[in-house]
Amino acid sequence: MTSTSASAKDIQIDPRGYRIGAGITTVLAIVGLLLGAGTAGTITFAVLAAMFTPGATVGPQATLQSFLFKRFIRPRIGAPRETESFRPPRFAQLIGLICALLATAFGLAGASVGFYIFAAFLLGASFLNSVFGFCLGCEIYLLLVRMRAPRAA
Amino acid sequence: MVERVSAVLALLAAASAFAVWWQRREGRVTRVVDPPGAVSSAHLGSPRGFRATFVQFSTSTCAKCPPTAVLLSRVAAAEKGVAHVEIDAEARLDLVREFDILRTPTTLILNHEGVVVARISGAPSEAHAREALEAAPTPSTDYSI
Repeated sequence: MTSTSASAKDIQIDPRGYRIGAGITTVLAIVGLLLGAGTAGTITFAVLAAMFTPGATVGPQATLQSFLFKRFIRPRIGAPRETESFRPPRFAQLIGLICALLATAFGLAGASVGFYIFAAFLLGASFLNSVFGFCLGCEIYLLLVRMRAPRAA
Repeated sequence: MVERVSAVLALLAAASAFAVWWQRREGRVTRVVDPPGAVSSAHLGSPRGFRATFVQFSTSTCAKCPPTAVLLSRVAAAEKGVAHVEIDAEARLDLVREFDILRTPTTLILNHEGVVVARISGAPSEAHAREALEAAPTPSTDYSI
């Protein structure tokens, strides 16, 4: 017997798609980190921020990464065995967007320590997501909700 | 450049070590030795099982929660007197704080009296779910007098 209270309009996506997408952002984050806190590295993270924006607002199904997957990889590997809700990866894309924006801002300001911190965090999260299927929304979302909501008296 | 390449490799190695460690802990069952007290069906918002109840805390941003719900409801259906209740953690922050839930999915196992006897942190395997249920044996109905 199961009773559930969470239900709203949901979109099911192919989980392999956003894992591949996270692989693409992992590679770009490595490139950006290797280029360093100068102009080229900052531009790389600005590009990453632009790539995360549709994912963080609409959902991972709206990203360039997802388009590349659907266009070039999905036709070769067939339909997925299982699908997942778009909400967990949308939250992960939002965290990616925030990190990319902060890395870009620190890069523009010439603050290389801040640039490296957020660039490294973005790389770590993208890498864990793509290679290990690590779910950021499972681990930190509830902590954020708990911090935001004041404790009842 | 050499420093940056080594830094990136070190970061990826550290992240991999973390992921392996994390995945080993996923679904781990801990027995609760000092339970805070019984949880009533009314407090839970759903009827408890006669023998045991899986109380699964989920959020909408948790990718592992729906498959965990499928697994736990299957295990619950196969056992007599076991219920599965899924709680929207965001809507029930009172329960989240009461039981100190930090991540999703986290599942509490209540025994026949509604006392928390075990908890599962993260997404369990079927073996984890059965191991957790062992903490809540079927209540005896054999009266000696």
